[in-house]
Amino acid sequence: MLELLQLTLDGLLDGSAYALVGLGLSLTFGGLRRLNLAYGATAMLAAYVGAWLHARHGAPVWLVAMSVVACAALIGWYVERLCFAGTRDETIRPASGPGAPVAGADGREVVALASSFAIWMQLEQLAVNLLPRHLNLFPSLAVERNWFVGELMIRPDRVVLALVSIGLTLGLAAWLERTRTGLSWRATADLGTAAHLVGMPVPKLQTIGFAVACALSGIAAFLVLSLDGQVTPMFGMWMLLKGLVVAMLGGLGSVRGVLRGGLLLGLVESYAQALLGAQGREFATYALLLAVLMWPRPMREERAVSSGVTR
Amino acid sequence: MSTAVADSPIPASDAIGAVMQTIRNALGDVLGLGDVAGAHLVGLSSDMAIMSMLALSAYLMLLVGRVSFGQQAFFGLGAYAAGVMTAMFHAPLAVALAVGVSLGALCSWLLAVPTMHLSGLHYAVATLAFGEIARILLGWWVWQRETGDGPVGPAGIDGFRDIRWLLENDVAPSEFLVLTLVLLVLVLAMLMRAERTRLGVALRMTGHDDVLASSHGIPVARIRQFAAALAGGLAALGGGLYAHRTTYIEPAVFDPMLGVHAVGYALLGGLGTALGPLLGVMFDLGLLDASRLFPGWRMVIFGGLVALFLRWRPRGLLDETLVHRLNGFRFFAGSVRAASPLSSGASNPPGRKEISS
Repeated sequence: MLELLQLTLDGLLDGSAYALVGLGLSLTFGGLRRLNLAYGATAMLAAYVGAWLHARHGAPVWLVAMSVVACAALIGWYVERLCFAGTRDETIRPASGPGAPVAGADGREVVALASSFAIWMQLEQLAVNLLPRHLNLFPSLAVERNWFVGELMIRPDRVVLALVSIGLTLGLAAWLERTRTGLSWRATADLGTAAHLVGMPVPKLQTIGFAVACALSGIAAFLVLSLDGQVTPMFGMWMLLKGLVVAMLGGLGSVRGVLRGGLLLGLVESYAQALLGAQGREFATYALLLAVLMWPRPMREERAVSSGVTR
Repeated sequence: MSTAVADSPIPASDAIGAVMQTIRNALGDVLGLGDVAGAHLVGLSSDMAIMSMLALSAYLMLLVGRVSFGQQAFFGLGAYAAGVMTAMFHAPLAVALAVGVSLGALCSWLLAVPTMHLSGLHYAVATLAFGEIARILLGWWVWQRETGDGPVGPAGIDGFRDIRWLLENDVAPSEFLVLTLVLLVLVLAMLMRAERTRLGVALRMTGHDDVLASSHGIPVARIRQFAAALAGGLAALGGGLYAHRTTYIEPAVFDPMLGVHAVGYALLGGLGTALGPLLGVMFDLGLLDASRLFPGWRMVIFGGLVALFLRWRPRGLLDETLVHRLNGFRFFAGSVRAASPLSSGASNPPGRKEISS
């Protein structure tokens, strides 16, 4: 019983970190209706820049944190210009001309997927060129001493991460719901053409939204890595896959859904690891994802498509 | 194939890496021993032919309007199945490949039935999840069988060693290359031939606009399931050949990078004709990787180029428009005739503008 409680607690704490990882990806999808495969690589390159500053120039932790977030936003802007700017214009004007996207609804999606994948490769290679070793030091914020409640063990740094994650998610959701900018972002996401007709700068809003989402991924990368104290070239893939599962579980594009998805994933992984070991943990992640995707319609798609970014 | 590769397990994390490793060994040796150059050219060509099959399977899925990031799973399934047949049951290579292809096609069809109604994006993610599940399951699969020299069989995460059918039967690498190329040419001929039939037109129509296609009486769901089964079989064929070429396979080889590369090759080369994916493979493996023009920066340049390229040519180099323009050249005639009724009538590919003006 105690073990079960411990597993649940660990799962919930891990899960809120996952929510933070999935937040940026879900926001991007909400805004553009495109999946950004370069998401993990963006955060990874930004983290590598941070690690590089830390290792080669002895930058303090706060500077590393700021540079990671700034770099992520900057790289995100680059990714958006290159991969997504060309494929989204048809939300405003009908497609035509030699650069027109492919016929068929999925054609444009395919192109965005493929080109963001190419950029993923590019960013990953850049990161590896920056710091060629497999394991790189990242400024560590991990706390050595653990708290004990009765016999339950709690890592205080994880609790802080979970609180930051929940706070950011709820804050973002509230911001999208309450403010004027949030309203225009939601309008853009829901019906780009209508938003354009009433005079909103749709491409600009989309670019800003994309950069903000990538900055969020930078925050997530910094927090997750600073608890590990190291960064490896596998991080980009990890970030993309976890983010994807969480965003899918919560309904792509839904901000609060990310929190639900993250907690669910955290719990499932925690139990699966106890039952089946490390490989089982990975297995459970994908099995859960596949199950959710094949689930009869009502839950998933309506939420993702019709309700826009929030809920 | 060099025996050095056969004896040592390849530490690279994916098939691309393994292929690159082979090529690198090749080029390293060429400098010292001029005689070996030919042998390595043979190896490189075999690798390119095998990758072409995987790229063609991704191309088939793209043709019906779906991106699959899970083709590496069928590649892996085919590799394991063919390896089990020859190494553990001493079946001839042809039988092993046939078993692998049937298994790949069956699994791919079984996956397609419940997932094909998903939207393109959800389907892409579902195939990715399936590919990873298959990889993990292969990592759990331990099945050893006593043969003449020690136990042979899949050993979970440690991989599957000693798939030595080629060595035992004295098949020279050049003969294996000929076999692979013949198979590839057969596949290509079949695909390009199919483009001229009603089935080929139905495939392309489904990809361009499934609503329109189904209103023309095309059974869109069945067409897509058929394409998935075909693509799975094709990937498994490549996998079976790959297993026998390297003699050693492990689950880590069949990671998402492999499948995603296959999609990249197909998109880069072009969706207008089945020759497109081959062009993509040649460009990446044959030109950029083998020539080692930009060591360390290859992916930076290649990735950037692909992204820029896709912005202006969303359906690759050999897209329908170009294939159509090449109408005059007899060489492409097979695909052109299939593409043209669509361009002028049913759908609205980029080629239409040029025709009407």
